Amino acid sequence: MKLQEIIDRLALNVLTVIDERDVSGVFISDMLSDVMSSAQPGNLWLTVQSHKNIVSAANLVDISAVVVTYNKKVPEDTIELANRFHVIILSSPLSTFELATKLVEAGIK
Amino acid sequence: MKEQKCIHQWTMINVRPGFIITENCFKCHKTSCYFSFDEKPPLEEYRDGEHFWNVMQSAQTFRFELECTCCHIIVPYDELLGLMMCTGCDENCKVDHLRKELEKERTWVYVAYGFLPMNEVKRLDQEKIENLEEYFNQRRKTSKSKIKIVSYEMISNIENCYAEVIKDVGLLSLKATEQ
Repeated sequence: MKLQEIIDRLALNVLTVIDERDVSGVFISDMLSDVMSSAQPGNLWLTVQSHKNIVSAANLVDISAVVVTYNKKVPEDTIELANRFHVIILSSPLSTFELATKLVEAGIK
Repeated sequence: MKEQKCIHQWTMINVRPGFIITENCFKCHKTSCYFSFDEKPPLEEYRDGEHFWNVMQSAQTFRFELECTCCHIIVPYDELLGLMMCTGCDENCKVDHLRKELEKERTWVYVAYGFLPMNEVKRLDQEKIENLEEYFNQRRKTSKSKIKIVSYEMISNIENCYAEVIKDVGLLSLKATEQ
């Protein structure tokens, strides 16, 4: 599924520059080391983390986009770094569980 | 007959969670770090010979090995403390030169760093760094970008390095915002 389609269907807030990307699967964790060991390229990464080192973890495994749940504030330096390294950051007011449920309903597994 | 060299296809195995403990001796100000498999990171200060160690920081992380699915060779990464992404903090640093050069072709530079003190511990050798780079590039083979991993020995001044470290610190204090 295209990232833009997911953004529209789930009303996600776009915090960085975006481009056309495919999404293949979802990865949920608040630990960067989990991303390093288990996330797959093209995954949508759901997390409550918003520190700028999410950019280095997402970039390492080529995450499709990071979605910060619970509307947690994403600092400006995180957004700036993400834009430099073409990492897409989105946010949602939903909890991680609610968002994951909606992603399954949208057909993402 | 000449033996054919295996074109390794790596997979990550034996992923074991643990902590990286960074400590400082309040007497000589030496900094040291080590990996712990303990369920909870140690917090108490202790004496070891001439040193009086105090825990400065503990970060959740993991240990792993790489296995080639073709020839089944196993490469342990006990000397690896972590990876950090070069963000270009020092224009006189060789890593930054490489970053600038490779960024044009969408290759991101990461630094593999080892334990402290650097001159007293076994370092990650070049072959292991290359294997790790191969592993991550194989894992992201559908991607339009690549990664390059270099040794921390390439950094001009590690104490002034502001690369983005992939580490999990302070997770126990995380709270969701109130609804």
